[in-house]
Amino acid sequence: MIQLYDFPGGIHPPENKELSNPGQLVTLPLPEELIIPLGQHIGAPSEAVVKKGDQVSKGQLIAKAIGSRSADLHAPTSGLIADVSDQQVAHASGLKETCITLHADGKDTWHANITPADPEQLSDDEVRQRIYAAGIIGMGGAGFPSNAKLATDKPIHTLLLNGVECEPYISADDTIMQVDSDGIVKGTRLLMRLLGQVKCIIAIEDNKPKAIATMQAATADDAAIEVVVIPTKYPSGGEKQLIQNLTGKQVPKGGIPADLGILCVNVATVNAIHDAVYLGRPSIDRITTVTGKGVNKPGNYRVLVGTKIDFILDQCEMDASANKVVLGGPMMGFQLPSIQVPLVKTSNCLLVPGVDEFPAADAAMSCIRCGQCEVVCPAQLLPQELYWLAKSDAFDKIEQYNLMDCIECGACAYVCPSQIPLVQHYRYAKGVIRHKAQEAKQAEHAKLRFEAREQRLIDEKNAKEERRKARAAAAAAAQAAKRASQADGDDPIAAAKARVAAKQQAAKAQATDSHPEPAAKPNHKELKTAAAIARTKLKKAQKAFADAAATDHPDTDKLQTTVNELTQRSAAAAEALAKFESQLGVDPEAIKAAQVEWAKANAKVRKLTKLAPEDDATEAVHKEYQQTLDAAQKDLQQAESHLQSLKNPTEESS
Amino acid sequence: MMRFFSSPHLHGGNRSQKIMLLVIVAALPGILTQLYWFGYGTLFNIIWATLLGLLMEAGVMILRRRPVGFFLKDGSVVVTTLLLALALPPMSPWWLVTTATLFAVIFGKHIYGGLGNNPFNPAMLGYAICLISFPVSMTVWTAAGQYLNLADQWLWFWTEQGQIDAITQATPLDVIKHLSGSTIGEMWSANPDVVAYKAAMLWINIAYLVGGIALLFLKVFTWHAPVAMLAGLAVMAFLFGAGEPDLYASATDHLFLGATMLGAFFIITDPVSSATSRNGKLIFGAGIGILTYIIRTWGNYPDAVAFAVLLMNLAAPLIDQYTRPKAYGQQS
Repeated sequence: MIQLYDFPGGIHPPENKELSNPGQLVTLPLPEELIIPLGQHIGAPSEAVVKKGDQVSKGQLIAKAIGSRSADLHAPTSGLIADVSDQQVAHASGLKETCITLHADGKDTWHANITPADPEQLSDDEVRQRIYAAGIIGMGGAGFPSNAKLATDKPIHTLLLNGVECEPYISADDTIMQVDSDGIVKGTRLLMRLLGQVKCIIAIEDNKPKAIATMQAATADDAAIEVVVIPTKYPSGGEKQLIQNLTGKQVPKGGIPADLGILCVNVATVNAIHDAVYLGRPSIDRITTVTGKGVNKPGNYRVLVGTKIDFILDQCEMDASANKVVLGGPMMGFQLPSIQVPLVKTSNCLLVPGVDEFPAADAAMSCIRCGQCEVVCPAQLLPQELYWLAKSDAFDKIEQYNLMDCIECGACAYVCPSQIPLVQHYRYAKGVIRHKAQEAKQAEHAKLRFEAREQRLIDEKNAKEERRKARAAAAAAAQAAKRASQADGDDPIAAAKARVAAKQQAAKAQATDSHPEPAAKPNHKELKTAAAIARTKLKKAQKAFADAAATDHPDTDKLQTTVNELTQRSAAAAEALAKFESQLGVDPEAIKAAQVEWAKANAKVRKLTKLAPEDDATEAVHKEYQQTLDAAQKDLQQAESHLQSLKNPTEESS
Repeated sequence: MMRFFSSPHLHGGNRSQKIMLLVIVAALPGILTQLYWFGYGTLFNIIWATLLGLLMEAGVMILRRRPVGFFLKDGSVVVTTLLLALALPPMSPWWLVTTATLFAVIFGKHIYGGLGNNPFNPAMLGYAICLISFPVSMTVWTAAGQYLNLADQWLWFWTEQGQIDAITQATPLDVIKHLSGSTIGEMWSANPDVVAYKAAMLWINIAYLVGGIALLFLKVFTWHAPVAMLAGLAVMAFLFGAGEPDLYASATDHLFLGATMLGAFFIITDPVSSATSRNGKLIFGAGIGILTYIIRTWGNYPDAVAFAVLLMNLAAPLIDQYTRPKAYGQQS
């Protein structure tokens, strides 16, 4: 037996795990429609590789991972791809995300590629490849792709299987340990093989005697795998808390368990790894606890990823009086704004509390600094201080108080005698800090761009100056040659020499001057300026003439002549410009249209700037807003450059 | 319409009112013992101070346009006035209790923004202001077991008329303070009344100790501040008293005379004005113990818990600054 070290803080909320009959697994019937969100993992959303109207079979790849923290997605059953579109997903703010809609054909036929394998016959790389191809991500809730976790280059000495499941009500991991210990142990051995010389600890809370017994029986013949029973205390299943409990060591700030030589994996994830390697089955289903007094048939259900939550709750006979559904457990789960959303790979619990099961919190009273929150904080923070700092928007200081180390376990709010929603305050402050960090990054980017532009302008100016000097030298040389040929007409050699020198100078000037010299041709800009000047002069003269005529000034006749002259001149300038522009292909109608486009884009950007979300909006909202704004600004830039190119075709052509 | 709640969705059911009620209940043994030895005066103090306190709090809430019922029901003002009433001498007239309550509730608490925002312990602030302003009235204690009947106490409370010279006497801490040449032993044998008084104080202190230990087991507060205060006081008494028992009161006397146990378990455990972290509470409590000894022994006042508490209240933010626990992952 290994020594336990405990971890600071923690609470003992009522467990209520028996409500969901841990150990009994029920498979839900096949739903007609499945909605598979493309962003179920922590990294970038995957990219759909199917399109509307495609026929897919069960387990077929439907979306490909983008980047190292992304994962492949597979069809949970056979059927027709009905749509690839933005749909509401399970998110606290009801955000939308690109999803693949699949209409099941009811046959549930596996794809031909799904083939079992004997891992003994597979190389390590092939095993890793099978894990990667199955799109397995951390099923305890983190959603970190397993192959990325396994790809650590840090030396690992302990594989830690997390079967703690400390959150009240949830019994999904308990169930999987009871019904598929064989799969878990085989999966564990695979991981141990990939990691090299490691020992394995399977940690289970002491409130799951059946799971403990099953796992102990399944590992009895393996000295390298030890089942460790830890005392029930929330949040003992938090990765950091579990590691501290088992080793007495803390994962360094900003570090990962691998820094301590530990790789921590959830038991359900290991089971999925077994399925992937032995059976070739991708991660398309999971065990989810559906519980709470608001459902008449609570239990642990095997559900397909993408099953809509309203379908599941329907099958479990949700009470009509139930007024909220929580995705996740009662301590860390979030209330769903809508149940018309799909279940994903990381959804371990659907909690439907009965009407009086979770009484609404009373209005928050004043913090009396009783310090009970500090006593229960597993991250050893000062929750009361964090609360005051968050309340007074002291974001710099709150970071010094290690707000970012808060794991949002909710123990502080659970014990708070003043019923202050502490975690909400922390989420708010964290959101603002992340937003500020993003802004600082953008400002830094803008600064770099500005500096680059300044440098470019200086370089251009210098280059221009050089060209001017070269041209002057060439001209001087040509002059000298000319003078020489005139003065020393009878000295052909000297004249020839001078000509050669002049030519060389001219060639040099030409070489430095990469741009065609605009002054040589009629210049668009100059013509425009001339026309504008002529118009202005005409207007002035007209005004003077009008004034003079009104007062019967003696110069009236003279002014009349000037006006006539200027009218002609202005007309001539305008004609010259029009002629030039028609040669260049400037289309006044197109310019007008482009101006309208530009004005529209400009108005959109201005409107968006005013609509910036509040500071306390979630990160996702900020991100979404930023994307919209970026797109609008890009549109504006495009409209601007389009307009400019229409107005000044020469600049573009050069 | 769904109502939205942020996680956690479970609450442990702990309430501020419950904490306040527990504190009041735990103080009952001490209150009853105090009534037993010193008569109805304390009861008058409690009733009058609580009544006024509630009225004042309601008045402030009306002025601040806050819901009156919501804030009154947290019970904090009752705890404040109760502790103040227990600290005041049993022969306090109405105006003394009124002044003390006014300073405790209005100046000690609401001037700073009400519950949770006061830097000083409100009860001790009201007490200290009265002790400085009315030193004579604040030191009228009756001899143990000899007190006025209810009617006479009523009369005294409102009019300060009545024959009380016969029953008032100096407290043991007073006696120790004014040794005037004799040793402590001689003093005790010369004043049998004081010995009886000492016994009464011992019982009262034990009663508060019992209530305090109950609160400790009910996890209303942690052990840090009370234990540190008692240890600080005892260590000081031992350091100075062990060599010269004739001149200095013993550690036992310091622990079981005056307001020591009331202070240690009911006053310095006020979370609002004490240091917040557990290590901070150790320093905070020890500071109060040491200061209590210093003021009792060399200061101008016979008992010193109130001043010691106020001084350490001042130091609490600084203590917090230097006792911040290391967060997870920052210990190597």
